Amino acid sequence: MNKVRKNKLAIFVFLLPAVLLFAGIIIIPIFCSGYYSLLDWDGITEGIFVGLENYKTLFTSKTSGFSKSVVHMLMLAVGAVFIQLPFALFLALGLAKGMKGERFFVTVFFIPVLLSTVVIGQLWIKIYNPDYGVVNSVLRMLGLDSWCHTWLGEKSTVMWAVFIPIIWQYVGYHMLLMYAGIKSINSELREAAYIDGATYVQTCFYILIPLLKPVLRVCLIFGVTGAFKSFDMIYVLTNGGPAHASEVPSTLMFTNIFMKNKYGAGSAIAIFIIVICFATAILIKKVFKVEGEEKTA
Amino acid sequence: MKKYIGRAGRYLYYLILLIWTVVSIFPLYWMILFSFKDNSEIFGKSALSLPESWDITNYVEALTKGQMGRYFLNSILVTGVTIFLTVAIALMASYAVSRLLWKGRTVLNNIFMLGLTLPIHAALLPVFLILRSMRMLNTFSSLFIPYTAFALAMAIMICNSFMMNIPEELEESACMDGCGTFGIFFRIIVPLMKPAISTIAIFTFLQAWNELMFATVFVSDSAHRTLTVGMQSLVGTYSTNWGPIGAALVIATIPTVIVYLFMSKKVQDSLVAGAIKG
Amino acid sequence: MKRKAALLLTLALSATSILTASASEGDQKTITMWTIATEGDANHEAFGKAIEEYEAEHPDIHIEMEAFENESYKTKIKASVAANELPDIYFTWGGGFSSAFVEAGKAMELDSYYETYKEELPESTLKYATYNDKLYGIPYVVSISGIFYNKAMFAEYNLEEPKTWDELIEVCQTFLDNGITPFGVSVKEAWVMAMFNDALTLKCVGDEKINAAFTRSGQSYLEDGFLDAAEKLEQLITMGAFSESAAGISNDEAVAAFTTGTVPMFVTGAWLEGSILSADNPDDFGFMPFPVCSENAQITDSMGGSADMLMVNPGTENPDEAATAAFEIAKLVSKYGYMSGAGIAAWKVDYEMENQSAISKTMSDCINESSSLTVWSGSLMEAEDYTEYQALLQQFFVGDLNAEDFVEAMDAQLNQ
Repeated sequence: MNKVRKNKLAIFVFLLPAVLLFAGIIIIPIFCSGYYSLLDWDGITEGIFVGLENYKTLFTSKTSGFSKSVVHMLMLAVGAVFIQLPFALFLALGLAKGMKGERFFVTVFFIPVLLSTVVIGQLWIKIYNPDYGVVNSVLRMLGLDSWCHTWLGEKSTVMWAVFIPIIWQYVGYHMLLMYAGIKSINSELREAAYIDGATYVQTCFYILIPLLKPVLRVCLIFGVTGAFKSFDMIYVLTNGGPAHASEVPSTLMFTNIFMKNKYGAGSAIAIFIIVICFATAILIKKVFKVEGEEKTA
Repeated sequence: MKKYIGRAGRYLYYLILLIWTVVSIFPLYWMILFSFKDNSEIFGKSALSLPESWDITNYVEALTKGQMGRYFLNSILVTGVTIFLTVAIALMASYAVSRLLWKGRTVLNNIFMLGLTLPIHAALLPVFLILRSMRMLNTFSSLFIPYTAFALAMAIMICNSFMMNIPEELEESACMDGCGTFGIFFRIIVPLMKPAISTIAIFTFLQAWNELMFATVFVSDSAHRTLTVGMQSLVGTYSTNWGPIGAALVIATIPTVIVYLFMSKKVQDSLVAGAIKG
Repeated sequence: MKRKAALLLTLALSATSILTASASEGDQKTITMWTIATEGDANHEAFGKAIEEYEAEHPDIHIEMEAFENESYKTKIKASVAANELPDIYFTWGGGFSSAFVEAGKAMELDSYYETYKEELPESTLKYATYNDKLYGIPYVVSISGIFYNKAMFAEYNLEEPKTWDELIEVCQTFLDNGITPFGVSVKEAWVMAMFNDALTLKCVGDEKINAAFTRSGQSYLEDGFLDAAEKLEQLITMGAFSESAAGISNDEAVAAFTTGTVPMFVTGAWLEGSILSADNPDDFGFMPFPVCSENAQITDSMGGSADMLMVNPGTENPDEAATAAFEIAKLVSKYGYMSGAGIAAWKVDYEMENQSAISKTMSDCINESSSLTVWSGSLMEAEDYTEYQALLQQFFVGDLNAEDFVEAMDAQLNQ
């Protein structure tokens, strides 16, 4: 068996396309961004080499809004880990138990993921509209006029207002991954636990969730890196405004590269995002070690 | 008493499911309403209000302006090739890093995760320059190659997590029967990875079908435009008639929903089938 | 499985056959052109007619136009300039937006070709197409901004068009007393607020100073006139001249409030005409210049000019043909665009205009009578300054900055 597993030709053939694509489209651009981040460059004319100047201004400047954006990014990640994923797991465990309309619910919960974020963003803009939006209309109907806000226009509310759609949209995504994972766990195991007199909740905690670890880890990595990189929804809803109140690093990066023509400064933010995403992903992988994965390595 | 709580719990659970169903279907419902409205209704009235009339002028306009038919075909082609490449490459790479034995496989597996970290806007210019130097601009390959590369990281991770559930004994017994590495891969691994394949296909489809920025920048002639870019041509510079865009969105979304319904059934079926056999 | 593969193959084949069908014939020269005249754009028809007419007159030349949506085009054109992937003729915006293109040598100098068209294309429209005294762009439309207003609502409260700052305040107060928000604006899309502040600042400091300040030509922003403008904006914000919710609504939403008669006034560019003409009662709406706010300016100092233009790629294989085609097409688009109500002609009008809307007539009169034309900040300023200006206006509006903070921050940005 080991001979089969050490087949050099197979390893080469299996890896070649992935490695080529990765090197060309992912790795080279990362190095390019790293190089651009050392330049004072408008993206068009000759750049001037400035060393780490862009990073220095990024971390020291008070007006750029970068420190605020990092805080918002972390808030989103916390929301993903403690709200989005547990809720998705809750739905997946319940549905995977096998209940009436199981297939219907699995299908329907995925619909928000199917629609492009730009469309969903437009819908939420309508929902938050201060004059005729659903939120304010409901509040007025309940006689809570004083609770009405310009949700996307006030510094105190805007972060929560963009938070909800981002969390909401991808619940179905994680649910599907988890659901598929649970269903591919040997069903005899589950039934055996049932016969032992365990309740479903107990089965979930002692049997299913531990066995689901590889999938949960993937969801955790996707959820956190997704939150760190989240751009589309915020761009559509507020573009980081008003006055940086909903800024995240990726919107700041976009503004720098494409609005201000500060390609160097924008690339420095890109490198920041890459480093923090990669470090977190590796950390999650290390912390939630899956049995059997590293033993042969 | 215990039974009583169980039943209450189940009703509560159904209630949560129902509420979540409503908030999940709502965008689709809204989009259909939107596609029948005109600007003053879209921007002046609540998202819940019904359109003043149900005439199909928006649909006629969306379908007759530009070459939506061709854009649609282009999108299908680009997305189809992307899904095929992503699934094939990810399966092979995942097998190589999680089952085959060689030095540096953990390192490579970690490097693949870099694909999750790169913000697409930062990659725009470098990828543009790379594609230009390979003379690939203005072709379909300038779209499905980057799409595949960006989808790969996620696909490999999903493959890995599913591959862990495949018992190694299966491979070993196949080996006893005289199967080589390629034989094991194609006869044992690929068939057992069906649920993973469907899951990856769905996510890759979404990514490729909705992508806009690469599609705008890397392709300049309208013969290679995809649907998202084509739809944008309904947007005017200063004033835009949003109704036809809503109609175009509905037209673009219906295949997504259909593909998903089809795939989702497949995911579920293959999962059930796999569970019985395992 | 086989059937699926066959389907895929058929699709691939049909796609390639579509491609080969569009190959060119004979020794016809093909000139490629990028514009933002998409199917949904007001200028789409004008470009189509112009190309058709040009090709009929020059059978040896084939123009291949590709149109892109405005916002994504900004990304595309910058990336294409950087990667040297430009077509022969490309649409761009004059002033600050294209200065880097000219600096990088990606725009052809057009002075020698302009000689032929001197009589038809007035030099006054070339202000933002000229860099270092050389011509690089060919405009086809001239625009203007001012106050669009709802005549019916003005009549209801017996209001006249305000000519001075005090009259404007009176008008605003009257509306406020009747529970109406006077101005529609979007601060979320801060360019709309910038259009307002540009007009106000112009009428406080005069055209020379605003030009000098916005183009980093050594004009201090701390001068009294600029502070005066900021204080006037503060006064309007404090009295409630703009809806408090402006920070949370988009331009489209704000425009809808104006065209449906919820707010009586809106400061923006000539393009609003399109939305007005498709409103239920287009005759209710009028256009007037922004009132004079100090002795430094006159009522005829206008915000506007020609920022939309065509440039020619110096790397083109057929420089003469491309440059001539760009001029001829710009001329024809100027005509057909004006006739269809898409914008006001930048080129001399030597044809009869029929069915011109009243509002378009007022605007073209304002342009012809103007003593100076200054284009808005979006075209005038460098990209970085403009982005910062919008961010500062947002902060000003939500109360993070007062008038003094605002002028200080502007001065720091423009004179750093």
